[in-house]
Amino acid sequence: MIESQRHSYHLVDPSPWPISGSLGALATTVGGVMYMHSFQGGATLLSLGLIFLLYTMFVWWRDVLRESTFEGHHTKVVQLGPRYGFILFIVSEVMFFFALFRASSHSSLAPTVEIGGIWPPKGIAVLDPWEIPFLNTLIPLSSGAAVTWAHHAILAGKEKRAVYALVATVSLALVFTGFQGMEYYQAPFTISDSIYGSTFFLATGFHGFHVIIGTIFSIICGIRQYLGHLTKEHHVGFEAAAWYWHFVDVVRLFLFVSIYWWGGI
Amino acid sequence: MAEIELKTAPADFRFPTTNQTRHCFTRYVEFHRCVAAKGDEAADCERFAKYYRALCPGEWVDKWNEQRENGTFPGPL
Repeated sequence: MIESQRHSYHLVDPSPWPISGSLGALATTVGGVMYMHSFQGGATLLSLGLIFLLYTMFVWWRDVLRESTFEGHHTKVVQLGPRYGFILFIVSEVMFFFALFRASSHSSLAPTVEIGGIWPPKGIAVLDPWEIPFLNTLIPLSSGAAVTWAHHAILAGKEKRAVYALVATVSLALVFTGFQGMEYYQAPFTISDSIYGSTFFLATGFHGFHVIIGTIFSIICGIRQYLGHLTKEHHVGFEAAAWYWHFVDVVRLFLFVSIYWWGGI
Repeated sequence: MAEIELKTAPADFRFPTTNQTRHCFTRYVEFHRCVAAKGDEAADCERFAKYYRALCPGEWVDKWNEQRENGTFPGPL
């Protein structure tokens, strides 16, 4: 907190990033639609929009880091904002994945006569859940344990150990993604093979995408831990990454039980 | 003139809801499983044929017959 200030709230300076982010999003969506309908200049607008968005993300987060880590504007009470915000974001993610699981259950609990009233549909050779799928459930669980190890290390002020723990977290995440890629490559069905393939790749694919996001989030935390940004008392970014990682982990458990195991019998 | 007895398939507790699509499909499958097990001439199978003919639209039966001939019928025969 700045000395001359008589309260612990962060009064932000004017910033160009909200409007630049909005323009980037506009260019991305309009360019995306134009590109998908083969309009002239669609690909260019889409690329420009994405570059603009990525640039905005970089400079906006850079500003937040300067304000929080280096200028100390993120007091205890200010930290509540990003915490609640991130919790609400994860709640919205839960609802998103609920929809994917619902699509799968709707199709498999009472299979229509068009697929013969049976699940998996005739001709779909399913994956054995006790091979790669089970291993690839244990790996993210271990990664979740590693992120808890990192948390304890940060709380205990063991800075080097926290970096090691985050390296372990990220390594396990990368092994997961590698195995998942191998599973996709070797799968005897594709996303266009019946409602089974559609729901399978929709749910596992979006989960894999979230694992990649969580991996990048953990890598950023590892770098910030290495640079000494995270302290015993102040490490909201790390906590958000850990919550996100546990969320992705829980989704994987549900994927294994309902889609790989139950859905494959 | 002998009186013609008009009858539909009996109520089946496996299909208690309004939509009888699955009921029709199941009776069609049951008929063909019965024929496969007991032979073309088996009198026991005739009732399943009556049930599915009463429940299923003709086009569906035509389509399924075609699928069986092509080996693409998705049901558990």
